[in-house]
Amino acid sequence: MYELFKNLGSWLVAGEQWTGPDGIGHRIAEHLQYSLLATLVAAAIALPVGLLIGHTGRGAFVAINLASFGRALPTVGLVVLVFLAGGLSMTPVYVALVALAVPSIVTNTYAGMTAVDPEVKDAARGQGMRGHQVLLRVEIPLALPLIMTGLRLALIQVVATATIAAYVSFGGLGRYVFDGLAQRDLVQVLGGAVLVAAVAVVLDLALSGLQRVLFRHRRAAV
Amino acid sequence: MNAQGSASSPNSASSASSPSSTSSTSSTSSASSSSSPKHSPLPRRAILGGLLAAASVPALAACGGGITSLDGQGGGGGNGGGGSSANGVTIGTANFTENQILGYLYAAALGAAGVKTKVRPNLGTREILIPALKGGDIDLLPEYQGALLHYLSPKATATEEGAMQNALAVALPEGLQILPYGRAEDSDAFAVTRETAAEYGLASLADLKKQNGKLVIGAAPEVKKRVVGVVGLKEVYGVEFKEFKSLDSSGPLVKGALKKGDVDVANLFTTDTDIAAEGWVVLTDPKNLVPGQHVVPLIADRKADSAVRKALARLGGALTTEDLTELNRQVDKDKKDPEDVANAWAAAHGLVKKR
Amino acid sequence: MTVDWSWLSAHAGDLTTLTLSHLQAALTAVLLGLLISLPLAVLAHRVRPLRGLLLGMSNVLFTIPSIAVFVLLLPVSGLTRTTTVIGLTIYTLVVLLRNTVEGLDSVPAKAREAAVAMGTRPLRTLLTVELPLALPVIMAGVRIATVMSISLVSVATYIGDGGLGQLFTDGFQRDFPTPVVAGIVLTLLLALVADALLVTVQYVLTPWTRRPRTSGRG
Repeated sequence: MYELFKNLGSWLVAGEQWTGPDGIGHRIAEHLQYSLLATLVAAAIALPVGLLIGHTGRGAFVAINLASFGRALPTVGLVVLVFLAGGLSMTPVYVALVALAVPSIVTNTYAGMTAVDPEVKDAARGQGMRGHQVLLRVEIPLALPLIMTGLRLALIQVVATATIAAYVSFGGLGRYVFDGLAQRDLVQVLGGAVLVAAVAVVLDLALSGLQRVLFRHRRAAV
Repeated sequence: MNAQGSASSPNSASSASSPSSTSSTSSTSSASSSSSPKHSPLPRRAILGGLLAAASVPALAACGGGITSLDGQGGGGGNGGGGSSANGVTIGTANFTENQILGYLYAAALGAAGVKTKVRPNLGTREILIPALKGGDIDLLPEYQGALLHYLSPKATATEEGAMQNALAVALPEGLQILPYGRAEDSDAFAVTRETAAEYGLASLADLKKQNGKLVIGAAPEVKKRVVGVVGLKEVYGVEFKEFKSLDSSGPLVKGALKKGDVDVANLFTTDTDIAAEGWVVLTDPKNLVPGQHVVPLIADRKADSAVRKALARLGGALTTEDLTELNRQVDKDKKDPEDVANAWAAAHGLVKKR
Repeated sequence: MTVDWSWLSAHAGDLTTLTLSHLQAALTAVLLGLLISLPLAVLAHRVRPLRGLLLGMSNVLFTIPSIAVFVLLLPVSGLTRTTTVIGLTIYTLVVLLRNTVEGLDSVPAKAREAAVAMGTRPLRTLLTVELPLALPVIMAGVRIATVMSISLVSVATYIGDGGLGQLFTDGFQRDFPTPVVAGIVLTLLLALVADALLVTVQYVLTPWTRRPRTSGRG
């Protein structure tokens, strides 16, 4: 084990590792591209759904159960199925990553919305706010912490799972994991895993920083 | 040491009804195979072996029939210094269709010889499988002569079957052995589309050098580090590619990429029917980079007994390259199960009694 | 892309075997995860400085790709079911630890104080007061961990295990969608059934949560 980590050090600092089409720099860029795009698409689908069911209280049962059903979807199976249906492209990977991210975002957004004190909503209506005004000025700001938790959780899962792109010939940091498996080069596998974890942690810190900025804004506004 | 060590339990398991014969065979064989130069009072060892075997018989009788509780204990071995398959043989196979078919063919042949088997399909690459074979997760593996030889000793020069068999015997690590190779052969091919061949004037691997830095090669990830792969193409032919794409072993990724033009050169198997069906051009190999790749069983010493040897030798003598290619086609194209096509072939060729 | 129904009926036995093997891996991991996370959670709940450390560590584990964990375990446990179970257990820990700590946090201080006042020993308080009251939150974690494990088992197909996941690699190599569809459907069914069972278990184990609300809170 010690040997493995020692070799990891030299693997990570080797100059030629960082440049070129299969260098670490390029692989990180690819990994970021896959993860961020998938999470954005997932957020574009899941946020409106979560807000709508939270605001209206309608369809919550169906949506939440569908979401927990979605959590059970095996990513490997989904990638293979979409690949067999549509041929080789990044689509199978994106479909699987979006399917992975949507449930976390929907359930947390919904949870955030339901956690808003009904009395606060009533007070807002009493002040003459319309439905969309209550949603935008009261519910969303109050639900924001949980919404952000959902987004952060989704992003972490997506970053860890985007390794699957390498299974269907694409790049990203998963390349090191799958190539390392085929070549039984554990240093390479460990290197890939550590880099994925680092990317996930950095992105999570960035999002929590963003969250703090948004919070300050909210506190000032209210 | 290893080989004789594990032999005691199956030996006594199979002949628990005749304790006297068990103890006598094991005592003699442990005496004859003792090789330690230090304290080697032969009689004492023989007595010890005899005692162990004798002690094991009542224990076994008590637990009522061939349980593996004594596996791995000291004692003697039967079967001419080899192992024993009496506790069953676990066959591991690599992550491509043909290897799984071969695994099930081995299982069919061994089953007919009364050996219990378990096939573990799709375990991964040779790089993963051989450590697993050494570690005891699997016992037997359908291998290919040249590829195995180059994995074990990358500088190997033997290309002729007999010479490779000898070189393999030398190169194999402790505890593993190869059995006689079979008739069937599945070689590595480097193929291009007809259009690519015409465009760049490619007929042999040597022609690739003229296009150095221009072509993209697609292959399974492990081929990047293998002699029969990127390493050898550079050393033997001086070929350098623009890019290596990690795909799969003659599977949907590499064939799809070749068809679409995402790669120019693809590493395929010669038993893949798509090569002919698609009209792909297999580049010739004037400098014999790609060695002969006859199918050869790689087995752990602990399981190699005469029943296994004979059954696999019969199979090896009967299975031809054409048969293997056809079986691949049935699995890949007709979507039949590897196990079913293997059993059907074995039955049709008299290796198993028809049911 | 069509589903070959005759393949399904011809492979009913194989599918059953794979489903059971899949379930066994997932459930073993959740059970092990519970056994490990319970004492750790109690520790994290009691000893504040350890809390951040333990939860932080488990969060970082969560960011490591599961396939890499399986591969890195190969020198330890080889191509075996053990590798699969250890890998899955690591992921269940993340969810179980967090939920168990939160569950213990959610126990009203009054309940604990009452037990202490009655002279109940700490271990007994934990077992008879705190854990039962924390059970709803813990069970929520168990449900998530179970569904997650059932979905993750298939990743172990890359190291030759993976239960229903073997159908995915098989279908992939042969350009054959039927096993893939079967694998996905069975995984979802398994998750659905397991989750329904856990809901029932929780219902049985926590009778007090069933009482009419009016009597619970004033």
